[in-house]
Amino acid sequence: MRKLFISVMFVVFVLLVNMSLVSADHHEWWADAAAPYAGATIRGVSESTPPSNYVADVLAAQFTELTGINVEFETTSWDQMYSKAINDMEANTGIYDFVYIEQDIIYSYLAQEYLVNLTQFAADNPDLAYEGYDESAFTSFADYFKNADGDLFGVPMEAFVKVYLYRKDLFEDPDIMAAFEEAYGYPLAPAENFDQYRDNAEFFTAYGESMDMDLWGTTVQGTTGHPASTYEFLESIGPSFGLYNWGINLDAGSAMSANGGALDGDTAVEALTFWLSMLPFAPPEATSSTWDEVASSFAAGRAAQGWVYGENAAWIATDESRSAVTGNVGVRLPVTAPGVIEAAKMGEGYIGYYDGGAFGVPHSSRNKEATLLWLQFIGQSSVQAEWAAAGARITHTATFDDPLIAEQDAKVDGYYTLLEEQGPLFAGAPPFPFHAQVREVIDPFIQRAILGELSPADALSQAAMAVDEELSRLGYGM
Amino acid sequence: MTTTLRQRAWRLCVTYGFWIFTTIVTLLPIWWMFVVSMRSRVELFGRPNLSLSRFFVENYTNVLTDSTFQRYMTNSVVVSTSNALLVMVLALLATYALSRYKLAGRDNIFFWLITNRMAPPAAFLLPLYIMFTRTFRLGDWTLYDTQIGLILLYCVFNLPFAIWLLKGVIDGIPIELDDAAMIDGAGLWGVLRHVIIPLAAPGLAVTGILSWVFAWNEYLFAANLTSVQARTITTGLAEFVTVTGTNWGELAAMSMLTLIPSAIIVILAQRYIVMGLTFGAVKE
Amino acid sequence: MRNNPRIGWLLLSPTLLILLVFGFVPFLYVLFVGFNEWNIFAAEEGLRFSGLDNYRRLVFDEDFTTSVQLTLKFATFAILSELILGFLLAQMLTRKFPGKWFFRIIHTFPLMVAPIAVGAIWRLLVIPGFGPVPFFLDRWFDIKYQIGSYPDQALWTSVIMDVWHWTPFVTLTMLAGLSSIPREPVEQAKVDGANRLQVFWYVTLPFLRPVLLTTVFIRIMDAIRTVDEVWMLAGGGPGTRFTGIYIWRVVFPRTDYGYGSSISLITLYLTIVLCWLLFIAISGRRKGEVE
Repeated sequence: MRKLFISVMFVVFVLLVNMSLVSADHHEWWADAAAPYAGATIRGVSESTPPSNYVADVLAAQFTELTGINVEFETTSWDQMYSKAINDMEANTGIYDFVYIEQDIIYSYLAQEYLVNLTQFAADNPDLAYEGYDESAFTSFADYFKNADGDLFGVPMEAFVKVYLYRKDLFEDPDIMAAFEEAYGYPLAPAENFDQYRDNAEFFTAYGESMDMDLWGTTVQGTTGHPASTYEFLESIGPSFGLYNWGINLDAGSAMSANGGALDGDTAVEALTFWLSMLPFAPPEATSSTWDEVASSFAAGRAAQGWVYGENAAWIATDESRSAVTGNVGVRLPVTAPGVIEAAKMGEGYIGYYDGGAFGVPHSSRNKEATLLWLQFIGQSSVQAEWAAAGARITHTATFDDPLIAEQDAKVDGYYTLLEEQGPLFAGAPPFPFHAQVREVIDPFIQRAILGELSPADALSQAAMAVDEELSRLGYGM
Repeated sequence: MTTTLRQRAWRLCVTYGFWIFTTIVTLLPIWWMFVVSMRSRVELFGRPNLSLSRFFVENYTNVLTDSTFQRYMTNSVVVSTSNALLVMVLALLATYALSRYKLAGRDNIFFWLITNRMAPPAAFLLPLYIMFTRTFRLGDWTLYDTQIGLILLYCVFNLPFAIWLLKGVIDGIPIELDDAAMIDGAGLWGVLRHVIIPLAAPGLAVTGILSWVFAWNEYLFAANLTSVQARTITTGLAEFVTVTGTNWGELAAMSMLTLIPSAIIVILAQRYIVMGLTFGAVKE
Repeated sequence: MRNNPRIGWLLLSPTLLILLVFGFVPFLYVLFVGFNEWNIFAAEEGLRFSGLDNYRRLVFDEDFTTSVQLTLKFATFAILSELILGFLLAQMLTRKFPGKWFFRIIHTFPLMVAPIAVGAIWRLLVIPGFGPVPFFLDRWFDIKYQIGSYPDQALWTSVIMDVWHWTPFVTLTMLAGLSSIPREPVEQAKVDGANRLQVFWYVTLPFLRPVLLTTVFIRIMDAIRTVDEVWMLAGGGPGTRFTGIYIWRVVFPRTDYGYGSSISLITLYLTIVLCWLLFIAISGRRKGEVE
């Protein structure tokens, strides 16, 4: 109850601070621009994550206060969000005025022309264009929501990279360090290559067992009942070995090595073999863990190191009501194979997944003008810092320098600095207009490999064949 | 004398032993849900402890003070109750017709009615979605995201069940009773009111209750055919599963709260349930 | 039997209307889409007529045939267990003993938990790390229990979950059936020297038959359609990819509407055939033995 009170007070406080920040003439601008749409209701769909909840609870209230336009939020689960947005846009129903676009689905939406070109639309309606909103203020993540001409189709609202997290209290414990060095002949440190990663994982698993602790060496997002395992393999593990774009050659429309693909190639097999070899060192829930459960396991102190989505880094490191490892979280770049970082720096590859999402306007929306105002409101610079502090997400380059974020950054072991400086080494999902379709095809093979029913090589060669079949069925194949 | 006493004591022991065992098995998952609902997020992991360590009610206060929760709950109550009432009325009329009138293809109609419950729902969502958003449209109003839409739609799986259940009951009421009432000057409505409804009351009650439970528990249609205004409590449960962590405590708290209305209904209706579920077995 | 069909049709019409609109029209739509190649994210837009291609593809689709096998396995074991347990519980409930009402109410509780909550509860029970089931199985019996790693365990867990959830329904129906059996035939059979098993087989069972039939049918229909619980519990991984879940995956994430529709229709057809065969089997025996 006390926590509830505090959080209510916090929201009120943030509201007050923001109201004073928005200066009087801006007040007038918003009121004037929105006058024709006052009283209208715009509706959007999103997942109920902290960044979305901040938009729904705080920003929407401010916006309504300024403009008289009501914002209605439908929050739902991840799977539901997709099917509902796609149904709406495909059937041209006009239920939603803005939808959450996860970075990986944007190419499918663009290919189907589901979204309104925001740059164009603002240019066509100059009296709706707010001067405090500037497309160039966004980080490079916004590029994923642009077409070939550089026009923006979604206002970025969250962005994260999948990082390597480790337990500082364990890695810096003198007794543990001594024991590790004795066993392996070199000092214990956060992993920088895969051999070291393996040694760390093996060591801490054995350590946990000998101390009768619930501790294992690594996380693995290895669920056999959810696409999350396929995502970890294709978007985090694969690239760190040099397997890019899911091993699919988009020009040839094939995933097979024989046609310029790489899904059944040696790199892919090596990556999958390594990843599966981590399963014995992962907590027993690993084969049921999706992204959120990996984060929860790590937060419960059940893994010494692991690959964790960045949106969780902040709460794992700071929120005592949810995490048992606060203050002990180290953040590093994920482990990579030799040459991968260099290739990424030269723009010839990437080392992991740059994840996030944006709000876009479906073509079927019946309130495009009011929605444009709303998206500019959440995309303007002045609201970014508090939002970043509440939701651990950063979409503006200027936000990194905000004192609020600098303070957070120290608590999260420099996660935000890493995001700012190394962000460009990561990449979003490959530009496939058939993202979910092909993922669904690959999924069963990765799951069977996790279960040990198929060897890594067999799983991948069968997956590549199935991908090719699906691609030709969809008309993207050879 | 002593042996019979000992036998009776032994039998009582076995009976209660059996019941206590099955009660524990039945209640264990619900108990665990209650325990989880009384824990904070950080306490969830670790060595499982089946006992209640403390009263931690924040999950409940969070759920109860959420205005969307209240709306979901109201929607669920309205939708399930209206659907149950509608199903009872329609099924009574339909079953009476099937039972008493010579209709062409009667058996086939009956069987077709039943098959409506067999369809796997996923593929039918798309046509239903189109119907809800496009076909049934009056100006700005559509069937999508309305309570009435769900009330009508739930008939598709509740009516077959209800008709089947009532078929046995009404077939079991001798037609001579109808005739007698008619000779006394009763019309169709009189027969229904004075003969069929009183005699089929327990069956009707069960139909209503089970339809209510099925409607209360439905998820897939509610999740896809509502948006904000008409969302039901089961769709609210799914919202707790998110990318940054499933809020198991609040999910469990909400599950416990959803259990209360249905528990009240079923406890109140215990007697009728047993009396009514006789299907065709009351013929003699 | 009344000879005035017009009134009969009038009484039936609201039911027929609702089921035609919300049941039959969507069915026709699905039937039509099933003859087409249609994926909204395909390179070429819209529906392309493809005749029976989807149905041909289905025969060779290992994922589909496996899902049918799994579903049948799941339904068979779950329903058989529910029938046996439900009968046993109902039999016990026909006795008189103090506190019976209490146990009867307790034993209807699981029925009232929404399937999606059932899935969530069982997930909380069986996921290692916070679930008590794997913890105590490991500590007391040294059994490794991980539904994510062993498909068989996932399947059995969903069977047990279904049994927990639906046995109360069977108990109620059986109880109703048992309490409506007249006393005389049972007494008569005992006088004639029949033992318990014979009384059960020749007297109780025939009387229970209509109840049994309805219960089994409703359970079969619902078990084959099961999605919510298993989805929450295990997400439809290798051990639990039942037909309902497979259809959901094909229709939603994969947006392969054409193929999804044809699988739905085949599943519907298989359910009808299954129920029909069962109906003939059960009602056929009745004619031979009782009357």
